[in-house]
Amino acid sequence: SACGVIMASAAVAGHSNMKSSHLASLTPQWMNSEVLTGTSIMAVEFDGGVVVGADSRTSMGTYVSNRVTDKLTRVTDRIYCCRSGSAADTQAIADIVSSHMEILEVKLGEPPLVQVAANTFKEICYNYRDMLMAGIIVAGWDKSKGGQVYTIPLGGMMVRQPIAIGGSGSTYVWGHIDAAYQPNMNQEETVDFVRKTLTLALTRDGSSGGVVRVAVITKDGVDRRVFLHNELPEFYQG
Amino acid sequence: MSILNYNGGCVVAMKGKNCVAIACDLRFGVQSQTITTDFERVFELGPQLYIGLPGLATDTQTVYQRLQFRIKMYEMREGRRMKPQTLMAMAQNLLYERRFGPYFVEPVIAGLHPSTKEPYICALDLIGCPCEPADFVVSGTCSESLYGMCETTWREDMEPEDLFECISQSLVNAFDRDALSGWGAVVHIIEHDKVTTRYLKCRQD
Repeated sequence: SACGVIMASAAVAGHSNMKSSHLASLTPQWMNSEVLTGTSIMAVEFDGGVVVGADSRTSMGTYVSNRVTDKLTRVTDRIYCCRSGSAADTQAIADIVSSHMEILEVKLGEPPLVQVAANTFKEICYNYRDMLMAGIIVAGWDKSKGGQVYTIPLGGMMVRQPIAIGGSGSTYVWGHIDAAYQPNMNQEETVDFVRKTLTLALTRDGSSGGVVRVAVITKDGVDRRVFLHNELPEFYQG
Repeated sequence: MSILNYNGGCVVAMKGKNCVAIACDLRFGVQSQTITTDFERVFELGPQLYIGLPGLATDTQTVYQRLQFRIKMYEMREGRRMKPQTLMAMAQNLLYERRFGPYFVEPVIAGLHPSTKEPYICALDLIGCPCEPADFVVSGTCSESLYGMCETTWREDMEPEDLFECISQSLVNAFDRDALSGWGAVVHIIEHDKVTTRYLKCRQD
Protein backbone atom coordinates (compact mmCIF):
# COMPACT_ATOMS: atom_id res chain seq x y z
CA SER A 1 0.00 0.00 0.00
CA ALA A 2 3.02 2.30 0.12
CA CYS A 3 3.32 1.95 -3.66
CA GLY A 4 2.59 5.56 -4.38
CA VAL A 5 5.13 6.92 -1.93
CA ILE A 6 7.87 4.52 -2.96
CA MET A 7 7.26 5.20 -6.60
CA ALA A 8 7.38 8.96 -6.11
CA SER A 9 10.73 8.90 -4.33
CA ALA A 10 12.20 6.38 -6.75
CA ALA A 11 11.21 8.56 -9.67
CA VAL A 12 13.12 11.48 -8.22
CA ALA A 13 16.16 9.71 -6.74
CA GLY A 14 16.75 6.40 -8.48
CA HIS A 15 16.67 6.98 -12.19
CA SER A 16 19.84 8.17 -13.79
CA ASN A 17 18.23 8.80 -17.16
CA MET A 18 17.19 12.30 -16.12
CA LYS A 19 19.35 15.19 -17.24
CA SER A 20 21.73 16.12 -14.45
CA SER A 21 23.39 19.17 -15.98
CA HIS A 22 22.66 22.65 -14.70
CA LEU A 23 20.77 23.31 -17.94
CA ALA A 24 17.98 21.08 -16.60
CA SER A 25 16.73 24.03 -14.54
CA LEU A 26 16.26 26.16 -17.69
CA THR A 27 13.86 23.71 -19.28
CA PRO A 28 10.35 23.14 -17.96
CA GLN A 29 10.05 20.47 -15.30
CA TRP A 30 8.03 18.14 -17.54
CA MET A 31 10.91 17.86 -20.01
CA ASN A 32 13.18 16.38 -17.35
CA SER A 33 10.71 13.89 -15.95
CA GLU A 34 10.22 10.28 -16.79
CA VAL A 35 6.81 9.38 -18.12
CA LEU A 36 4.85 7.70 -15.35
CA THR A 37 1.40 6.30 -15.04
CA GLY A 38 0.59 7.61 -11.55
CA THR A 39 -2.56 5.61 -11.66
CA SER A 40 -5.38 3.83 -9.99
CA ILE A 41 -5.82 0.23 -11.14
CA MET A 42 -7.81 -2.69 -9.84
CA ALA A 43 -9.07 -6.15 -10.70
CA VAL A 44 -11.84 -8.22 -9.12
CA GLU A 45 -12.75 -11.89 -9.57
CA PHE A 46 -16.38 -12.92 -9.90
CA ASP A 47 -18.04 -16.20 -10.71
CA GLY A 48 -17.46 -16.58 -14.44
CA GLY A 49 -14.59 -14.17 -14.97
CA VAL A 50 -12.84 -11.02 -13.86
CA VAL A 51 -13.41 -7.28 -14.10
CA VAL A 52 -10.33 -5.08 -14.57
CA GLY A 53 -10.39 -1.31 -14.32
CA ALA A 54 -8.03 1.67 -14.55
CA ASP A 55 -7.99 5.46 -14.84
CA SER A 56 -6.53 7.10 -17.96
CA ARG A 57 -3.93 9.65 -16.86
CA THR A 58 -0.24 9.60 -17.89
CA SER A 59 1.92 12.33 -16.42
CA MET A 60 5.37 13.77 -17.10
CA GLY A 61 6.09 15.42 -13.78
CA THR A 62 2.91 17.36 -13.15
CA TYR A 63 2.00 17.79 -16.83
CA VAL A 64 -0.70 15.41 -18.00
CA SER A 65 0.76 14.12 -21.23
CA ASN A 66 -2.04 11.71 -22.07
CA ARG A 67 -5.52 12.04 -20.56
CA VAL A 68 -7.05 9.09 -22.40
CA THR A 69 -4.40 6.42 -21.80
CA ASP A 70 -5.34 2.77 -22.04
CA LYS A 71 -3.69 1.03 -19.08
CA LEU A 72 -5.59 -2.21 -19.62
CA THR A 73 -3.26 -4.05 -21.93
CA ARG A 74 -4.01 -7.27 -23.77
CA VAL A 75 -1.64 -10.14 -23.02
CA THR A 76 -3.76 -12.83 -24.66
CA ASP A 77 -7.39 -12.89 -25.74
CA ARG A 78 -8.48 -13.88 -22.25
CA ILE A 79 -5.68 -12.35 -20.13
CA TYR A 80 -5.23 -8.64 -19.53
CA CYS A 81 -2.84 -6.71 -17.34
CA CYS A 82 -3.23 -3.37 -15.54
CA ARG A 83 -0.06 -1.27 -15.66
CA SER A 84 1.23 1.23 -13.10
CA GLY A 85 4.64 2.84 -12.63
CA SER A 86 6.96 3.66 -15.50
CA ALA A 87 5.04 3.70 -18.80
CA ALA A 88 8.10 2.54 -20.75
CA ASP A 89 8.93 -0.33 -18.38
CA THR A 90 5.40 -1.70 -18.19
CA GLN A 91 4.80 -1.47 -21.95
CA ALA A 92 8.04 -3.32 -22.64
CA ILE A 93 7.31 -6.07 -20.10
CA ALA A 94 3.76 -6.55 -21.36
CA ASP A 95 5.05 -6.86 -24.95
CA ILE A 96 7.58 -9.50 -23.92
CA VAL A 97 5.07 -11.55 -21.94
CA SER A 98 2.51 -11.29 -24.72
CA SER A 99 4.95 -12.68 -27.26
CA HIS A 100 5.93 -15.53 -24.90
CA MET A 101 2.26 -16.43 -24.49
CA GLU A 102 1.70 -16.41 -28.25
CA ILE A 103 4.52 -18.93 -28.72
CA LEU A 104 3.25 -20.99 -25.79
CA GLU A 105 -0.23 -21.17 -27.30
CA VAL A 106 1.21 -22.66 -30.47
CA LYS A 107 3.25 -25.20 -28.48
CA LEU A 108 0.42 -26.25 -26.18
CA GLY A 109 -2.38 -26.09 -28.71
CA GLU A 110 -4.62 -24.26 -26.26
CA PRO A 111 -4.79 -20.80 -24.63
CA PRO A 112 -2.22 -20.33 -21.85
CA LEU A 113 -3.27 -20.28 -18.22
CA VAL A 114 -3.55 -17.00 -16.32
CA GLN A 115 -1.17 -18.37 -13.70
CA VAL A 116 1.48 -18.98 -16.38
CA ALA A 117 1.20 -15.43 -17.71
CA ALA A 118 1.34 -14.03 -14.18
CA ASN A 119 4.39 -16.14 -13.43
CA THR A 120 6.14 -14.89 -16.58
CA PHE A 121 5.47 -11.29 -15.50
CA LYS A 122 6.84 -12.15 -12.07
CA GLU A 123 10.05 -13.65 -13.46
CA ILE A 124 10.82 -10.44 -15.34
CA CYS A 125 9.78 -8.10 -12.53
CA TYR A 126 11.74 -10.00 -9.88
CA ASN A 127 14.96 -10.70 -11.81
CA TYR A 128 15.24 -7.11 -13.09
CA ARG A 129 13.80 -5.51 -9.97
CA ASP A 130 16.65 -2.99 -9.54
CA MET A 131 16.17 -1.61 -13.03
CA LEU A 132 12.40 -1.56 -13.30
CA MET A 133 9.59 0.43 -11.77
CA ALA A 134 6.51 -1.63 -12.54
CA GLY A 135 3.45 -2.50 -10.49
CA ILE A 136 1.28 -4.88 -12.50
CA ILE A 137 -2.01 -6.66 -11.90
CA VAL A 138 -2.61 -9.69 -14.15
CA ALA A 139 -6.18 -10.86 -14.54
CA GLY A 140 -8.03 -13.17 -16.87
CA TRP A 141 -10.09 -16.27 -17.42
CA ASP A 142 -8.97 -19.80 -18.21
CA LYS A 143 -10.80 -23.09 -18.20
CA SER A 144 -8.86 -24.64 -15.32
CA LYS A 145 -9.56 -22.12 -12.52
CA GLY A 146 -12.00 -19.66 -14.09
CA GLY A 147 -11.53 -15.98 -13.28
CA GLN A 148 -8.23 -15.21 -11.52
CA VAL A 149 -6.44 -12.07 -10.35
CA TYR A 150 -2.70 -12.01 -9.58
CA THR A 151 -0.98 -8.94 -8.18
CA ILE A 152 2.72 -8.24 -8.82
CA PRO A 153 3.80 -5.15 -6.87
CA LEU A 154 7.14 -3.33 -7.06
CA GLY A 155 9.68 -5.89 -5.78
CA GLY A 156 8.42 -8.74 -7.97
CA MET A 157 6.40 -10.89 -5.59
CA MET A 158 3.28 -12.52 -6.99
CA VAL A 159 0.16 -13.51 -5.14
CA ARG A 160 -3.37 -14.43 -6.17
CA GLN A 161 -6.12 -12.33 -4.59
CA PRO A 162 -9.90 -12.16 -5.14
CA ILE A 163 -9.54 -8.39 -5.37
CA ALA A 164 -6.37 -6.42 -6.08
CA ILE A 165 -5.77 -2.67 -6.23
CA GLY A 166 -2.62 -0.85 -7.26
CA GLY A 167 -1.03 2.42 -8.25
CA SER A 168 -0.67 5.68 -6.34
CA GLY A 169 -4.45 6.15 -6.16
CA SER A 170 -4.97 2.81 -4.48
CA THR A 171 -3.79 4.20 -1.14
CA TYR A 172 -7.04 6.16 -0.84
CA VAL A 173 -9.36 3.18 -1.31
CA TRP A 174 -7.95 0.37 0.85
CA GLY A 175 -10.49 1.23 3.54
CA HIS A 176 -13.28 1.48 1.00
CA ILE A 177 -12.67 -2.00 -0.42
CA ASP A 178 -12.35 -3.51 3.04
CA ALA A 179 -15.73 -2.03 3.93
CA ALA A 180 -17.62 -2.40 0.66
CA TYR A 181 -16.32 -5.56 -1.03
CA GLN A 182 -18.58 -8.59 -0.80
CA PRO A 183 -17.70 -11.97 -2.25
CA ASN A 184 -20.02 -13.62 -4.79
CA MET A 185 -21.12 -10.46 -6.61
CA ASN A 186 -22.45 -10.92 -10.11
CA GLN A 187 -20.93 -9.29 -13.20
CA GLU A 188 -22.87 -6.00 -13.13
CA GLU A 189 -22.42 -5.56 -9.38
CA THR A 190 -18.68 -6.10 -9.82
CA VAL A 191 -18.48 -3.53 -12.65
CA ASP A 192 -20.35 -1.04 -10.48
CA PHE A 193 -18.02 -1.72 -7.55
CA VAL A 194 -14.94 -1.15 -9.73
CA ARG A 195 -16.40 2.06 -11.16
CA LYS A 196 -17.21 3.41 -7.68
CA THR A 197 -13.80 2.49 -6.24
CA LEU A 198 -11.84 4.03 -9.09
CA THR A 199 -13.92 7.22 -8.91
CA LEU A 200 -13.03 7.60 -5.23
CA ALA A 201 -9.36 7.03 -6.01
CA LEU A 202 -9.10 9.41 -8.95
CA THR A 203 -10.94 12.18 -7.13
CA ARG A 204 -8.32 12.19 -4.38
CA ASP A 205 -5.16 11.32 -6.29
CA GLY A 206 -3.52 14.02 -8.40
CA SER A 207 -1.74 11.42 -10.53
CA SER A 208 -4.99 9.67 -11.51
CA GLY A 209 -7.79 11.03 -13.64
CA GLY A 210 -9.47 11.14 -17.01
CA VAL A 211 -11.94 8.40 -17.84
CA VAL A 212 -12.54 5.09 -16.08
CA ARG A 213 -11.78 2.18 -18.40
CA VAL A 214 -13.24 -1.22 -17.51
CA ALA A 215 -12.87 -4.61 -19.19
CA VAL A 216 -14.95 -7.66 -18.33
CA ILE A 217 -13.19 -10.94 -19.20
CA THR A 218 -15.20 -14.15 -19.35
CA LYS A 219 -15.06 -17.38 -21.32
CA ASP A 220 -16.98 -15.62 -24.10
CA GLY A 221 -14.40 -12.88 -24.58
CA VAL A 222 -13.60 -9.35 -23.47
CA ASP A 223 -16.19 -6.58 -23.12
CA ARG A 224 -14.51 -3.13 -22.92
CA ARG A 225 -16.27 -0.10 -21.53
CA VAL A 226 -15.43 3.53 -20.90
CA PHE A 227 -17.07 5.75 -18.26
CA LEU A 228 -16.68 9.48 -18.92
CA HIS A 229 -16.56 11.96 -16.06
CA ASN A 230 -20.27 12.70 -16.20
CA GLU A 231 -21.04 8.97 -15.90
CA LEU A 232 -19.12 8.57 -12.65
CA PRO A 233 -20.88 8.60 -9.27
CA GLU A 234 -20.69 11.77 -7.21
CA PHE A 235 -19.45 11.56 -3.67
CA TYR A 236 -19.05 13.99 -0.79
CA GLN A 237 -16.56 16.73 -1.74
CA GLY A 238 -14.49 17.88 1.20
CA MET B 1 9.37 18.62 -6.28
CA SER B 2 9.78 22.40 -6.16
CA ILE B 3 8.24 24.26 -3.23
CA LEU B 4 6.03 26.26 -5.56
CA ASN B 5 4.51 22.94 -6.75
CA TYR B 6 3.89 21.52 -3.27
CA ASN B 7 0.24 22.54 -2.91
CA GLY B 8 -0.68 23.17 -6.55
CA GLY B 9 -3.04 25.79 -7.91
CA CYS B 10 -3.29 28.42 -10.61
CA VAL B 11 -4.61 31.92 -11.27
CA VAL B 12 -5.30 33.84 -14.49
CA ALA B 13 -6.41 37.45 -15.07
CA MET B 14 -7.51 39.14 -18.29
CA LYS B 15 -8.33 42.65 -19.46
CA GLY B 16 -11.57 43.39 -21.28
CA LYS B 17 -13.48 46.47 -22.41
CA ASN B 18 -13.94 48.53 -19.24
CA CYS B 19 -13.72 45.35 -17.19
CA VAL B 20 -11.22 42.84 -15.88
CA ALA B 21 -11.58 39.20 -14.94
CA ILE B 22 -9.64 37.07 -12.49
CA ALA B 23 -10.07 33.36 -11.92
CA CYS B 24 -8.49 30.52 -9.96
CA ASP B 25 -8.93 26.82 -9.32
CA LEU B 26 -10.08 25.42 -5.98
CA ARG B 27 -7.75 22.54 -5.25
CA PHE B 28 -5.73 22.33 -2.08
CA GLY B 29 -3.44 19.30 -1.97
CA VAL B 30 -0.23 17.96 -0.54
CA GLN B 31 1.82 16.82 -3.53
CA SER B 32 -0.41 14.32 -5.29
CA GLN B 33 -3.03 13.96 -2.55
CA THR B 34 -6.06 16.26 -2.79
CA ILE B 35 -7.14 17.47 0.63
CA THR B 36 -10.00 19.88 -0.07
CA THR B 37 -11.76 21.30 -3.12
CA ASP B 38 -12.86 24.65 -1.68
CA PHE B 39 -9.57 26.51 -1.28
CA GLU B 40 -9.93 29.88 -2.97
CA ARG B 41 -6.76 31.76 -3.76
CA VAL B 42 -8.27 34.95 -5.16
CA PHE B 43 -9.10 37.58 -2.54
CA GLU B 44 -10.96 40.88 -2.57
CA LEU B 45 -8.86 43.77 -1.29
CA GLY B 46 -11.22 46.58 -2.32
CA PRO B 47 -14.53 47.06 -4.15
CA GLN B 48 -12.94 46.58 -7.58
CA LEU B 49 -9.52 45.29 -6.57
CA TYR B 50 -8.61 41.61 -6.44
CA ILE B 51 -5.40 39.68 -5.89
CA GLY B 52 -4.67 36.05 -6.71
CA LEU B 53 -1.95 34.26 -4.73
CA PRO B 54 -1.03 30.87 -6.21
CA GLY B 55 1.87 28.92 -4.72
CA LEU B 56 2.55 27.54 -1.27
CA ALA B 57 -0.78 27.63 0.60
CA THR B 58 0.62 28.83 3.91
CA ASP B 59 2.21 31.80 2.14
CA THR B 60 -1.04 32.43 0.23
CA GLN B 61 -2.74 32.97 3.58
CA THR B 62 0.11 34.92 5.18
CA VAL B 63 0.75 37.28 2.27
CA TYR B 64 -2.98 37.97 2.01
CA GLN B 65 -3.22 38.77 5.72
CA ARG B 66 -0.10 40.99 5.74
CA LEU B 67 -1.23 42.81 2.60
CA GLN B 68 -4.69 43.36 4.04
CA PHE B 69 -3.11 44.96 7.11
CA ARG B 70 -0.98 47.32 5.04
CA ILE B 71 -3.94 48.28 2.86
CA LYS B 72 -6.13 49.10 5.85
CA MET B 73 -3.37 51.27 7.34
CA TYR B 74 -2.94 53.02 3.98
CA GLU B 75 -6.67 53.68 3.62
CA MET B 76 -6.86 54.95 7.18
CA ARG B 77 -3.94 57.35 6.73
CA GLU B 78 -4.76 58.48 3.17
CA GLY B 79 -8.53 58.50 3.60
CA ARG B 80 -9.05 57.06 0.12
CA ARG B 81 -9.23 53.77 -1.73
CA MET B 82 -6.01 52.32 -3.10
CA LYS B 83 -5.47 52.21 -6.84
CA PRO B 84 -4.30 48.97 -8.43
CA GLN B 85 -0.88 50.33 -9.44
CA THR B 86 -0.21 51.21 -5.81
CA LEU B 87 -1.20 47.72 -4.71
CA MET B 88 1.35 46.38 -7.14
CA ALA B 89 4.05 48.60 -5.61
CA MET B 90 3.01 47.53 -2.11
CA ALA B 91 3.09 43.83 -3.02
CA GLN B 92 6.45 44.32 -4.70
CA ASN B 93 7.85 45.90 -1.54
CA LEU B 94 6.39 43.21 0.73
CA LEU B 95 7.90 40.45 -1.37
CA TYR B 96 11.31 42.07 -1.85
CA GLU B 97 11.64 42.60 1.91
CA ARG B 98 12.04 38.82 1.96
CA ARG B 99 14.51 38.71 -0.92
CA PHE B 100 16.72 35.97 0.55
CA GLY B 101 14.00 33.91 2.23
CA PRO B 102 11.01 34.61 0.02
CA TYR B 103 7.31 33.95 0.26
CA PHE B 104 6.55 31.18 -2.23
CA VAL B 105 3.70 32.93 -4.00
CA GLU B 106 3.61 34.57 -7.43
CA PRO B 107 0.79 37.12 -7.16
CA VAL B 108 -1.63 38.27 -9.85
CA ILE B 109 -3.48 41.58 -9.43
CA ALA B 110 -6.63 42.63 -11.29
CA GLY B 111 -8.69 45.72 -10.71
CA LEU B 112 -10.20 48.99 -11.87
CA HIS B 113 -8.86 52.43 -10.96
CA PRO B 114 -11.16 53.81 -8.20
CA SER B 115 -12.04 57.01 -10.08
CA THR B 116 -11.18 56.58 -13.79
CA LYS B 117 -12.32 52.92 -13.83
CA GLU B 118 -9.37 52.11 -16.09
CA PRO B 119 -8.77 48.32 -16.15
CA TYR B 120 -5.43 47.09 -14.78
CA ILE B 121 -3.73 43.71 -14.48
CA CYS B 122 -0.25 42.69 -13.44
CA ALA B 123 1.75 39.72 -12.19
CA LEU B 124 4.76 39.54 -9.90
CA ASP B 125 7.32 36.85 -9.32
CA LEU B 126 8.06 35.54 -5.86
CA ILE B 127 10.60 38.27 -5.09
CA GLY B 128 8.52 41.10 -6.42
CA CYS B 129 9.43 41.71 -10.04
CA PRO B 130 6.30 43.14 -11.69
CA CYS B 131 5.04 42.64 -15.21
CA GLU B 132 2.22 44.81 -16.56
CA PRO B 133 1.11 43.49 -19.94
CA ALA B 134 -1.87 44.77 -21.90
CA ASP B 135 -3.67 41.48 -22.32
CA PHE B 136 -3.52 38.74 -19.68
CA VAL B 137 -1.39 37.36 -16.87
CA VAL B 138 -1.04 33.78 -15.61
CA SER B 139 0.55 32.11 -12.63
CA GLY B 140 0.67 28.70 -10.97
CA THR B 141 1.60 25.08 -11.61
CA CYS B 142 0.04 24.99 -15.08
CA SER B 143 1.27 28.42 -16.20
CA GLU B 144 2.72 27.03 -19.44
CA SER B 145 -0.63 25.54 -20.46
CA LEU B 146 -2.35 28.77 -19.41
CA TYR B 147 -0.06 30.84 -21.63
CA GLY B 148 -0.98 28.65 -24.57
CA MET B 149 -4.72 28.81 -23.89
CA CYS B 150 -4.80 32.58 -23.23
CA GLU B 151 -2.65 33.43 -26.23
CA THR B 152 -5.06 31.58 -28.49
CA THR B 153 -8.36 32.77 -27.06
CA TRP B 154 -7.76 36.37 -25.90
CA ARG B 155 -8.95 39.26 -28.09
CA GLU B 156 -8.87 42.97 -27.36
CA ASP B 157 -11.94 44.81 -25.99
CA MET B 158 -14.10 41.85 -25.02
CA GLU B 159 -17.40 42.60 -23.32
CA PRO B 160 -17.93 41.08 -19.84
CA GLU B 161 -19.93 38.07 -21.12
CA ASP B 162 -17.29 37.22 -23.75
CA LEU B 163 -14.50 37.82 -21.24
CA PHE B 164 -16.15 35.36 -18.85
CA GLU B 165 -16.30 32.68 -21.54
CA CYS B 166 -12.72 33.34 -22.60
CA ILE B 167 -11.17 33.24 -19.15
CA SER B 168 -13.23 30.23 -18.05
CA GLN B 169 -12.31 28.14 -21.08
CA SER B 170 -8.64 29.13 -20.82
CA LEU B 171 -8.46 28.20 -17.15
CA VAL B 172 -10.41 24.94 -17.30
CA ASN B 173 -8.68 23.54 -20.37
CA ALA B 174 -5.28 24.47 -18.96
CA PHE B 175 -5.76 22.92 -15.54
CA ASP B 176 -7.29 19.77 -17.03
CA ARG B 177 -3.75 19.09 -18.24
CA ASP B 178 -2.22 19.60 -14.80
CA ALA B 179 -2.13 16.93 -12.11
CA LEU B 180 -1.95 19.52 -9.30
CA SER B 181 -4.65 22.02 -10.29
CA GLY B 182 -8.35 21.86 -10.90
CA TRP B 183 -11.12 20.27 -8.91
CA GLY B 184 -13.38 23.29 -9.46
CA ALA B 185 -12.91 26.95 -10.36
CA VAL B 186 -14.18 30.41 -9.42
CA VAL B 187 -14.31 33.38 -11.80
CA HIS B 188 -14.76 37.05 -10.83
CA ILE B 189 -15.80 39.56 -13.52
CA ILE B 190 -15.07 43.08 -12.28
CA GLU B 191 -17.02 45.94 -13.88
CA HIS B 192 -17.30 49.57 -12.84
CA ASP B 193 -20.53 49.06 -10.90
CA LYS B 194 -20.52 45.38 -9.90
CA VAL B 195 -18.50 42.24 -9.48
CA THR B 196 -20.00 38.95 -10.70
CA THR B 197 -18.65 35.81 -9.08
CA ARG B 198 -19.39 32.43 -10.67
CA TYR B 199 -18.34 28.97 -9.55
CA LEU B 200 -17.61 26.55 -12.39
CA LYS B 201 -18.60 22.89 -12.25
CA CYS B 202 -15.58 20.95 -13.50
CA ARG B 203 -14.31 17.42 -13.68
CA GLN B 204 -13.13 16.28 -10.26
CA ASP B 205 -9.92 14.52 -11.16
